[in-house]
Amino acid sequence: MNKSKTKNGVNPIWKFFSSVKLTIVILILLAIVCIIGTVVPQNEGAREFAKGLSPQTISIFTSLNLFDMYHALWFRIMIACMTLNLIVCSIDRFPATWKKFKLRPDPGRNRPFEDNPENQSFTTKGSLANAATHVGDLLHSRFKNTREKEEKGARYFYAEKGRFSHFGVYIVHLSVLLILSGALIGSFFGFEAYVNIVEGNQTDQVMLRKSMQPMNLDFTVRCDKFSVDFYDTGAPKEYRSVIGFIVDGKEVKKSNLLVNHPAEFMGVAFYQASYGTVPGKAVNLKISLEGSDKKPYSVIAEMGKEISLPEGKGSFQVADVRADIMRLGPAALISIKPKTGNLQDFWIFKNYEMAIKKMPAPMINSPKFNPSSFKPYTFSLQGIETKYYTGLQVNRDPGVNIVWAGCFFMIAGLFATFFMSHQRIWVRIERSARGTRISIAGTANKNPVGLEREIEKLLGHMKDIS
Amino acid sequence: MINATILSYTTFVYFAAFLLYLLYMVMRKPLMGRLATYASLLGLIAQTVAIILRWIESYQLGFGHAPLSNLYESLIFFAWTIMLLYLIVEWRTRNKTLGAFVTPLAFLAMAYASFSPDINSHIQPLIPALKSNWLITHVITCFFGYAAFGLSFALSVMYLIKSLDKQGSKGLFIKLIPPQDILDDLNYQMIVIGFLMLTLGIITGSVWAHSAWGTYWSWDPKETWSLITWLIYASVIHSRMVRGWRGKKIAILSIIGFCCVLFTYFGVNYLAGLHSYAKS
Repeated sequence: MNKSKTKNGVNPIWKFFSSVKLTIVILILLAIVCIIGTVVPQNEGAREFAKGLSPQTISIFTSLNLFDMYHALWFRIMIACMTLNLIVCSIDRFPATWKKFKLRPDPGRNRPFEDNPENQSFTTKGSLANAATHVGDLLHSRFKNTREKEEKGARYFYAEKGRFSHFGVYIVHLSVLLILSGALIGSFFGFEAYVNIVEGNQTDQVMLRKSMQPMNLDFTVRCDKFSVDFYDTGAPKEYRSVIGFIVDGKEVKKSNLLVNHPAEFMGVAFYQASYGTVPGKAVNLKISLEGSDKKPYSVIAEMGKEISLPEGKGSFQVADVRADIMRLGPAALISIKPKTGNLQDFWIFKNYEMAIKKMPAPMINSPKFNPSSFKPYTFSLQGIETKYYTGLQVNRDPGVNIVWAGCFFMIAGLFATFFMSHQRIWVRIERSARGTRISIAGTANKNPVGLEREIEKLLGHMKDIS
Repeated sequence: MINATILSYTTFVYFAAFLLYLLYMVMRKPLMGRLATYASLLGLIAQTVAIILRWIESYQLGFGHAPLSNLYESLIFFAWTIMLLYLIVEWRTRNKTLGAFVTPLAFLAMAYASFSPDINSHIQPLIPALKSNWLITHVITCFFGYAAFGLSFALSVMYLIKSLDKQGSKGLFIKLIPPQDILDDLNYQMIVIGFLMLTLGIITGSVWAHSAWGTYWSWDPKETWSLITWLIYASVIHSRMVRGWRGKKIAILSIIGFCCVLFTYFGVNYLAGLHSYAKS
């Protein structure tokens, strides 16, 4: 940015974005805008919320994108302003920080000792050379960087630590950039989708959440098994799916999927999100014979499989199974193939009594809905086998590791910024009337209490050894 | 349910501690101050025992989880972190006046947990989404953050009360409150600790959400409110570190920040979202 500093002064745009006032304004504005986003339900919840609003309000809300605020252009512009502010501020202040970091003060300076508190000096009887060796050793053991100098018969020492803490703030700012760029990469190159797979089935198509369009995967996912455990209270305790990943007809990987334990295959992550039941293909039937005192036959009939009827009057198969038909409850379509004559089809209901009451009159009399329409048999539907399906969240997010790196740097940077300080210590040893005089002075860029403690400790050690 | 009984008694112990701290400030008798500290310490120890008992009991019931899984348990833990952090600060600063402003927070949290009819104190089994090693780290970091912000709130209130002291008034109990610059310094330290903890809490929450739901950020109201809180405290830190704001401005911002914390904790329950298990 050569333009940043023109001869007439500072570029006004640069000046605008290098202001920390702007930072505070943006942070508070973002907070307020986010509050709006939690009060106005977003996306799925918006439809219900919008019912209570007048059409004008809705049109204002939609034009401002308030129902999907966090993806609105104006929200992204705010984030962009924050980013720009953060970058400009960091660049603007970096040279000064670099100077402080590179600064190597001369150990032989007397200025630090001006206005030094009296209690930070003391006199010992030992020789100057002896005291200097001890002080040198002490400083070496407590500080990484120490330097010394001899001048006009006096010995000077300089020691420092925490020089790198000056960069803490920049690490935090960098971490924010990393997190934002990770999020950006994820939203451009990733996807969020879901798929429900019935136990035993497979698919290579998932539904994208944003556009509600189907998307094909490069491989096939099969749900081999699904199981769910319940607590005594009836709440689900744990559910898991055994998922197979198939490429070109060959199973490449098998994974156990639990809530909180996702699996990844070819860069796509699968999460156990939900489950449910669908009617299976088998029904439990009871067949009784009119005018016979034999017990009714129980049979489990799988859809499409031919089963011969008792007494050998023909055979039947279940042609269709519905969990609910015309709000009359579960039903199955029975297709009879008599020994002689035409095929006969009729529906049987699980809850026949209820179904009869709700049925319109023409249906009641129609042989299509009479469970006894093929004499002498009466069919009754005992139950439909249910099958579990597993609900999977299917995501790809190539930016997520950048986000995690950002999180790591943020913690490290905050730690350095808040809890580390650049301490600089000067020690001067000189001859005095009563022996050898040792003085300590120090500065720190923050945490003055910590510096005081450090000086106290050094004083204590020095008094002990000299 | 011995743990719930101990915990409801702890409520009264904290209330007693609060009264003793007040008496100490009004009467200026060191004995009262000492008694107040003992009461706080007794409460904290009893509470710690109760939390451990509750943990053990959950294993005996066959659920086996840390007592950090619903509103009751979180309120108890909130009070615990506040008292722990407060006693550390009291020990480090050797000033007891903060106690009169902090113990009410712990007492109120405990009273709400123990006596509100809407809050179920039974140990409940964990739903599958909560079964994660991140539960403990996430809840601990968040609540230590909340506790530090709670202390910062109390310090800010003290700061504002202390400014009434300027007119040369005598004999008032506010005399015992430390000078404003010390309050301001301590306040900032609490904000810094709270901010680091909140950041850790949000990050651990994101990592957890990523493994449970597949996305590290979904703009759920609780997530968004924690971000709002984070933004407010970030602006406090910027205004102090770079702009050099001190004193009253910081105290007011910190009070606003703590209101956001409270809304993140309680208010969000009135908005629909993914954190629904923290409601009852």
